[in-house]
Amino acid sequence: MRRIALYYRSFLDSAGRIGSASNPHVLRGCAKIGIPVLLWVVLSVVSTAQLPSEPRIDFVRDIQPIFEVHCFACHGPEKQKSGFRLDVKSRALQGGDHYGPTVDPNDPNASPLLDWVKNQNPQERMPPPGPANKPLSRSQIETLEAWFAAGAPWPDGVDKTTLIDPKSHWSFQPLASPNPLASIDTWIESKLLAQGMSLSPPALPMQWLRRVSLDLHGLPPSPELAAWFAHHHEEPEAYSRVVEQMLASPRYAERWAQHWLDVVRYADTHGFEVNTERPHAWHYRDYVIRALQNDTPFDQFIREQIAGDQLGQDTATGFLITASVLLPGQIGADEPSKRLARQDAIDEIVVNLSQSFLGLSIGCARCHDHKFDPISQEDYYAMQAFVAGVDYEDRLVDTPWAIENKERGERISDELRAIDRELLRLEPLARPNPQRFQIGTDLQSLQDLPVVLPKRPRLQPTINSERIAPTETRAVRFSILQTNRLEPCIDEFEIFNPLGENVALSSRGTQVTSSGDSVAPDRHELRLVNDGSYGNSRSWMSNQVGKGTLTFEFTDPVIVERLVWGRDRLGEFQDRLAIQYTIQLLGPDGQWTLVADDSDRNSDALDPAPQGSDSASNAAPNSPSTNPSSEDFAAFQTLQTRQKQLQNDRKTWQENQKAFAGRFRTPDAIHLLLRGDPEQPQQKVEPRIPGFFGQLGIDPSESEPKRRMAIADWIASPSNPLTPRVIANRIWQGHFGIGLVDTPNDFGIHGQPPSHPELLDWLAAELIANNWSLKSLHRAIVLSKTYRQSSQSNVKGLEIDADCRLLWRYPLRRLEAEAIRDSILAVSGQLNTAMFGRGYDLFAQRGGLSGFQPIEQFQGQGLRRMIYAHKVRREREAVFGAFDCPDAGQSTGLRRTSTTPIQALNLLNSVFTIEQSKAFAERLHREAGSRDQTGSRGQTGSRGESQADPTQLIKAAYQHSLCRDPTPDEIADALPIVQELGVETLCRALFNCNEFLFLP
Amino acid sequence: MHPFLDRRNFLGSASNALGSIALTSLLSRDRLLASGPSERFDPTEPIDPAKPYAPRKPHFEAKAKNVLVVFCAGAVSQLETWDYKPKLIEWDDRPLPGGPSVTFQGPAGNLARPQYTFRPRGESGKWVSDLIPHLAELTDQIAFVHSLTSKSNTHGPAENFLSTGFNLDGFPSLGAWVTYALGSLCDNLPAYVAIPDPRGVPQNGSNNWGPGFLPASFQGTTFSANDPVRHLKSKGVSDASDAATRRLLDKMQQRHLQEYPGDAQLAARIASYELAGRMQASVPQITDIDQEPAYVLKAYGADDTTNKDKAAFAKNCILARRLIESGVRFVQLFNGAYASAGKLNWDGHNDLKNQYDVHASILDQPVAALIKDLESRGLLKDTLVVWCTEFGRMPFFQKGAKGRDHNPDGFTCWMTGAGVRQGVSHGLTDELGVKAIEDIHPLYDFNATILHLLGLDHERLSVEHNGIRRRLTNVEGNVIESILS
Repeated sequence: MRRIALYYRSFLDSAGRIGSASNPHVLRGCAKIGIPVLLWVVLSVVSTAQLPSEPRIDFVRDIQPIFEVHCFACHGPEKQKSGFRLDVKSRALQGGDHYGPTVDPNDPNASPLLDWVKNQNPQERMPPPGPANKPLSRSQIETLEAWFAAGAPWPDGVDKTTLIDPKSHWSFQPLASPNPLASIDTWIESKLLAQGMSLSPPALPMQWLRRVSLDLHGLPPSPELAAWFAHHHEEPEAYSRVVEQMLASPRYAERWAQHWLDVVRYADTHGFEVNTERPHAWHYRDYVIRALQNDTPFDQFIREQIAGDQLGQDTATGFLITASVLLPGQIGADEPSKRLARQDAIDEIVVNLSQSFLGLSIGCARCHDHKFDPISQEDYYAMQAFVAGVDYEDRLVDTPWAIENKERGERISDELRAIDRELLRLEPLARPNPQRFQIGTDLQSLQDLPVVLPKRPRLQPTINSERIAPTETRAVRFSILQTNRLEPCIDEFEIFNPLGENVALSSRGTQVTSSGDSVAPDRHELRLVNDGSYGNSRSWMSNQVGKGTLTFEFTDPVIVERLVWGRDRLGEFQDRLAIQYTIQLLGPDGQWTLVADDSDRNSDALDPAPQGSDSASNAAPNSPSTNPSSEDFAAFQTLQTRQKQLQNDRKTWQENQKAFAGRFRTPDAIHLLLRGDPEQPQQKVEPRIPGFFGQLGIDPSESEPKRRMAIADWIASPSNPLTPRVIANRIWQGHFGIGLVDTPNDFGIHGQPPSHPELLDWLAAELIANNWSLKSLHRAIVLSKTYRQSSQSNVKGLEIDADCRLLWRYPLRRLEAEAIRDSILAVSGQLNTAMFGRGYDLFAQRGGLSGFQPIEQFQGQGLRRMIYAHKVRREREAVFGAFDCPDAGQSTGLRRTSTTPIQALNLLNSVFTIEQSKAFAERLHREAGSRDQTGSRGQTGSRGESQADPTQLIKAAYQHSLCRDPTPDEIADALPIVQELGVETLCRALFNCNEFLFLP
Repeated sequence: MHPFLDRRNFLGSASNALGSIALTSLLSRDRLLASGPSERFDPTEPIDPAKPYAPRKPHFEAKAKNVLVVFCAGAVSQLETWDYKPKLIEWDDRPLPGGPSVTFQGPAGNLARPQYTFRPRGESGKWVSDLIPHLAELTDQIAFVHSLTSKSNTHGPAENFLSTGFNLDGFPSLGAWVTYALGSLCDNLPAYVAIPDPRGVPQNGSNNWGPGFLPASFQGTTFSANDPVRHLKSKGVSDASDAATRRLLDKMQQRHLQEYPGDAQLAARIASYELAGRMQASVPQITDIDQEPAYVLKAYGADDTTNKDKAAFAKNCILARRLIESGVRFVQLFNGAYASAGKLNWDGHNDLKNQYDVHASILDQPVAALIKDLESRGLLKDTLVVWCTEFGRMPFFQKGAKGRDHNPDGFTCWMTGAGVRQGVSHGLTDELGVKAIEDIHPLYDFNATILHLLGLDHERLSVEHNGIRRRLTNVEGNVIESILS
């Protein structure tokens, strides 16, 4: 709004109302001119008449009530419009966002507050008009004036609200030193004890197994593991053996990577309306999975994501640019649009850094100082300066994998060059048309014309080859009859003998003459046409528009087989191209013989693509002979096929050297932006951390990567009080569904305090002590008594702590979308465990008119885990997306769990569920069949399904899906249905039942 | 032998008290309401996770119970419709003095007169264009706001801004906020239905009806007269098997629930299957538009055999009326599809007049008929009807083109129906329609007004997300009092 307002100001000032309340400077300026005179009069009375006696104005008696009644609604404990609050002395005197301090020590009569309450415009006067608000009375204003004149005396200790010193906020304090004797259970049990409660009894072994498997892998335990554990769970090491095995499995990394991708709002598309694909984004997803699999220390994980290009983890920096971004074509052509888009893009990086690692909403300070946390607007822009050199683009990366692709690409390029040479050699023979410019061609000769013969390739600005039958000659004449525009220009003219030697070179003594030259010294000169060097700047240009002739005379007769010429071999220029020409050789009889012209060239529109990148239309005309049985023809075709294939390969390998990991360049100059508006830049800001946290001592001239390294080192430092706490809390939340701090992305003053502060610090300290190993933290948690307790509720627990924040039981919770889909596939036996690489598609069509049309049936790749789905931002997957799958718009620190009828319809009726129910049924039959082969029970039915005992099928179905045997009642429920309608009817119900969908 | 899990290890006595305790706890944990007891908001009834669509009380007495939003994607030109600028006729084909040389899509050309004739309408005598003759008849009922502004001049971010109050992706839509606050008035249909244009989805797709960070329960369900609700019926399964699965499932759920007495999450899932079952019955009925009497089809233009798109859109309009009639809280009816150089939506950059002739022929009669139909059935007294578009268009043509570029600095949307003052035009743009100059209202204000009419205080309707108390109106918004009745 504002930006275009600037454009029109000159035109509209008469009609428009520019600079109204939205422009504080204008307003203040006006007020300052008008008011002081009046004030002076009033104040002089006050000062002479009242000063000798007691102060006439008492803050508590006279001023505070005015503020309370008239101002607090908008500038009090609950709201601080324009960042101004009047209930706390320090903040009140500081003033609002843009109006300077409330009290000017040099001019007690000037205060923005007085300006506002005395404003003559009722629309702008404070308090604003409204049913509840009345303007201050004359006497109230006088009282205020007198108070200001007296220097605005505001006694300490009379405020009804006290501001908490942000510095004392718990999460900004250093970690408590760890108690070596403590454990997770120590802290949980002591809090429970204080409430007269205790941990619940341990969960049944198989329940724990299912819980820990769904938790660590997002999949139910495999039947083998379940069988093993059923037999060995009483052995002392059984639980920890299970945990070790699970943590070592790649399934763990896939599951927990999803938690992190939620936080950084990872997606494979750019977002916004066009939502185009980011084809190389998945490298970052794979990086996260690998990092978790390798148990990369978390501090290193941070550094790599911010500056991995400096640390041998090139693809990790995909972290910086996970957000939605407008592509260049989607941003307005006007400069303000571009500035706003760039600001939004940088803002997202700051938000990601601060929210994901620090649990701080630094982004709040984009338009004004943070309302709660000690982060000024300038602090925010100083954070921007660290990452102001990051562009949302693909980068050629130097991962081993990319280097391998690069080498492959180079090998392919070598081969392609060789093929190009071969192809030129096999070019079709020129078939000039001597009658071309004669009128009155008879019908017979027309029929003889090579109309059915394939044409030679269309003319190219870069290079054209004329292959002729080997002929001896003393001279060659190249006559240009027409160009595509302007005077013709010939970069280099080459004449080859059968040995492949260029006999046109002036170095061989060949003389060249022309019809006339346009000379640009050392750029366009006749001598440059056969000097052996390429490019527009080494070329000849005729002095006639559309015409020109070159004649080459050899010292001795030579045999000519091929002539090659171009307008600009380097491919920069496409104009001045000869499009009608003849080539003649001087015979021994002194006659010129036509050997080539353009008449048999493909005359389609000029194709600027270089030779070799044939489109389908001229692939055939390239063939060297009209006779398909000729050797040349066969060789040519083979070469051409090979060429196409190699070109495609090369493209793939070139593309595969890229990752959407950001392009780094000289950082933009960052300015503080008034109200966050890019059109209102203020002072320049250099990179530094928020002042509250100290200083890094980074030089403003520091190079781009050094800036990122600096911020990464600060965030990843063990002395940073936030980082270890924030990640420890995220890990805890992953295991229990809710963190010790239940606002995982906000550890600031507005966030929730931890339920168990000592435990959080203990976990954080343990993490650091174990070299930031996340696996060590998982191990400690899932083997704790707290984690191993039952999820059964009890009356006392519900009465005292229904939220279960004290963890008197293991909190029951529904699986996430991905875990539901993955678990169904695991149970049906269809899960494809292939890892990494481009994601499989969830949608058959990308955007456009019909939106994203979901794929309903999945095979092969589509049966991989959902983390390997190509994640389309904002488009939730058609079946499981409804289970609160984040849309990757904003960071999801904690998934909400909602319950909707759409979920029910999806899970009951989707093709996916129906197909997987059938696959599950087939699996049960198959396994029953193989058991039968050894146990010799049952027979194989006509449909290839075993006529297995239905009770056995039911039992196996329960074992696979719920890790337990059915009760007799459950068997009795299912038996008649399975007998009549098949076991898939039961399978479909199992996939929908709460027991399957909840962590036990 | 596998160890047999003891299925009897559950609390024998499931007291009702247990249930209610667990329920309240869940609510406060998820902070499902802006107004938990610990916060300084007016307490309203908590959301029962088993009944997320149960009707809930607004903050104060509401003028409207339902909302119907007609969303014209692509940015309708205010200058060809509701905002008459006779001065532009005088200035036709002259450059705008001091105007920009480049706007969103490129170089600016000369000023261009309104492409349609305007004439005074109704008793108010307000000038409305001949482009939309049927809607123009309703002028006396409408409250126009001519001075709206958007924060973006790009369709995607601007549709985000109109629908969610933020330029960025990932925030809850207006319909999500409304149904989150108020629940539904019916128990067999979704609380919030988004009906895409028959020609395709709007520019910003599902972000216009997304739940953002609100629970997924409050996402708009999309279907139209032609496109059914996805997964309403299973394919490739016999009815007998279908019924048997449901029967088995019910038993499994009940058994499991007994082990976790009072667990609201489990109860909620059971309830969601019941609502799903009712939807399976009611949705096919409500989308069967052909059951409407011929005179209704005719009034809407649903019988127009010469204009296929109009007939299809008209059926969506009839569907919208049926949904409102059935108590669906929030219906969002899209007119205009995806970016298409203005061919399929209102994005008239190059050939505005020819394209608007087509678009208006689809929009005009059906929407006018819809409003009249709501009125004649007495539904308009409880239903707020909103007509909106993401921004307006420039008074000049683009250089070398016969269309107008994006203009977020002064454009028109309107309301009618419950609680809306009739026949009022609020706010002004300058005499050429470059920008709003009087009673300027960012779209925040328009959204705040919609919430107000529903009895919701836009400053109190909020949720905590990532450390910020988020609202539809961010930290802005003033109710536009002068268009309230």
